[in-house]
Amino acid sequence: MDVRLQRINKSFGAVPVLKDVDLVFPSRKFVTLLGPSGCGKTTLLRMIAGLEDISAGSIYFGDREVNRLAPRDRNIAMVFQSYALYPQMTVRKNLGYGLRVRKTPATEVDSAVERVARILEIDHLLDRKPGQLSGGQRQRVALGRAMVRKPDIFLMDEPLSNLDAKLRVTMRGELRRFHLDLNATTVYVTHDQLEAMTMSDLIAVMHKGVVQQFGTPEEVYSKPANLFVAGFIGSPPMNFLEGKIDSGRFRISEAALPLPPLTRGIAPGLDVVIGVRPQNLSFVTSAGPNALAGIVSLVELLGSEKLIEVQIADRKRISVQVRADSQIHLGQNVHVEFDTSSVHVFDKLTEQSVLEAMR
Amino acid sequence: MTRYTLWSATKKAALYLLLCTVTVAVCFPLIWALSTSLKPKSEIFATPPTLIPHSTTFENYEALLSGRQQYYQTGEKSQAAGPTPAQFFTRWFVNSVIVTSGSTLISIVVSTLAAYSLTRFRYWGRNMIPYFSLLGYMVPSIIFVFPLFLMMVRLELTDNLLSLVFGYVCITLPFCMWLMWAFMRSIPIEIEEAALIDGASRYQVFANVVLPTAMPGIIAASIFSMIVSWNDYLFGRVFINSLDNLTLTVGVMLFFEGTHVDWGLLMAASVLMTVPMAVLFMALQRHLVAGFGAGAVKG
Ligand SMILES: Nc1ncnc2c1ncn2[C@@H]1O[C@H](COP(=O)(O)OP(=O)(O)O)[C@@H](O)[C@H]1O
Ligand SMILES: [Mg+2]
Repeated sequence: MDVRLQRINKSFGAVPVLKDVDLVFPSRKFVTLLGPSGCGKTTLLRMIAGLEDISAGSIYFGDREVNRLAPRDRNIAMVFQSYALYPQMTVRKNLGYGLRVRKTPATEVDSAVERVARILEIDHLLDRKPGQLSGGQRQRVALGRAMVRKPDIFLMDEPLSNLDAKLRVTMRGELRRFHLDLNATTVYVTHDQLEAMTMSDLIAVMHKGVVQQFGTPEEVYSKPANLFVAGFIGSPPMNFLEGKIDSGRFRISEAALPLPPLTRGIAPGLDVVIGVRPQNLSFVTSAGPNALAGIVSLVELLGSEKLIEVQIADRKRISVQVRADSQIHLGQNVHVEFDTSSVHVFDKLTEQSVLEAMR
Repeated sequence: MTRYTLWSATKKAALYLLLCTVTVAVCFPLIWALSTSLKPKSEIFATPPTLIPHSTTFENYEALLSGRQQYYQTGEKSQAAGPTPAQFFTRWFVNSVIVTSGSTLISIVVSTLAAYSLTRFRYWGRNMIPYFSLLGYMVPSIIFVFPLFLMMVRLELTDNLLSLVFGYVCITLPFCMWLMWAFMRSIPIEIEEAALIDGASRYQVFANVVLPTAMPGIIAASIFSMIVSWNDYLFGRVFINSLDNLTLTVGVMLFFEGTHVDWGLLMAASVLMTVPMAVLFMALQRHLVAGFGAGAVKG
């Protein structure tokens, strides 16, 4: 079932939290709401669940407006960030509660609970209480409780944030598999861009209650709509340099760097910020108009790569990602070259991408 | 190494000694009462006193529970002297049970619902009410008792067990409400929301999720309320004036009246009075801490 959010606004008292959110989540897709803490992701998810009033706008499930529908009539399931298991019930009771309260015959409840427990590999925990489980086990119970009812829409609020790093990586793959099994539209909330990139069909990047960009992971990564998205997506983060456009080149202090052909139409003299990812920078041996001169100020080994921080003119720093076996030393004089085609250009004033606007 | 173990052994021994002393000091009156209640009359004033009776008898308990006359073992003559406290013991016991359970039931139901409302709905004063109610509890009950008595007179409830039920509700409800409020506040709202999404109605959420989670709080408040009501003397003394409607605490004082105090009978009555509270506490205290909100949230 597809979910349509139409000009959703929300304020708590006089404080606006969501502003004109307009999104369509296609049926059976894995959609992620991504943004820093406090940007309104949880609030939006709770509005979809019916736990929070809508100040203005409409939510549709399919063709049906659900603004005034009680949570239990929406056929949704939700995994809370805190898991919110029923503390006095065993795992079996926790899993089956949604079915029991909907007057499902006992035998059906039992078989559904057993089935989900087997899929999630928690069948040996069925008679324990939540207090006797580890964080990872609780998380699976919360997941199971949501899966057991075969919901149309599956809502998850940072379900992995309380797990340790290793478990988080394995659970990413599992959640993705469960999504495919469940055949439901999944709305997933996270502040972790890596989680969003690896799991989602579509990502809505949010900031201060406003949707900044809505697109596939490839789109938000390679064609960020504005400075915020460019800086939020990708790791290590994108480098930003301020300067002016001058006859198709980007002028920063002494250097004049070439820009992608598309930028020729930009008005000369425009104040811009260019963004380039550390992966798209490289070291060259000789100085030239396409390269920035600088001194290596930090070398960080990331494993298979090294992250080199270079101090360039005006005390600016940029980071360059190179292979781990590169021989770069602290204090070395280097020249950094840009991969012209992967440079992003943003209007300094509006913070919007100049390139995307021209496409 | 050895010095260290020696030191810690000494500390442990000192700790146990201290604990034993305190335990003996606390338990001695109880044990003495139990011992006296089991002695035949001839042994009660024996010198030197015996802690463990040479010969035990249940005649005191029998007298209390069967309501038989026991004062002077001469029979006929003393029966004519009028009713004796022992004859009313079972009656008073039942009265105490009635007023204690009645007032506790009312206090718990009202305070649980009030606490739920105070923590889950938004209205004016929702944050102040619990504190004022705690303040109300701190006012000594001697200040309440006479205004309440005048109210009972107006309601024509004097010398009626109902007046005690209402009186005890007045002193236990504020504290129970504050306790339940503090407890309900600690129950994460998410578990209720999860139940709402699972398909429960508001009532089902309350019955299936909130109540079981709040159970340790309810038990704590019940124990408090029962102890206060069961042990009250003041209200029972002021509100009730017929022998039939007395509660245990006031009734047992009547064993002191007259020229002859039957210590064996008095001690047996005290022991029987202690038993219900002791049994209740032992049965319930396990639930007090067990499973308090454990594992509902995070890991
Ligand atoms: N019940 C509430 N009352 C007042 N403000 C709230 C409430 N819930 C959330 N907020 C505010 O709304 C903003 C968005 O919160 P939230 O949706 O939880 O953000 P996120 O999940 O993205 O971290 C925050 O500034 C938060 O303080
Ligand atoms: Mg959140």
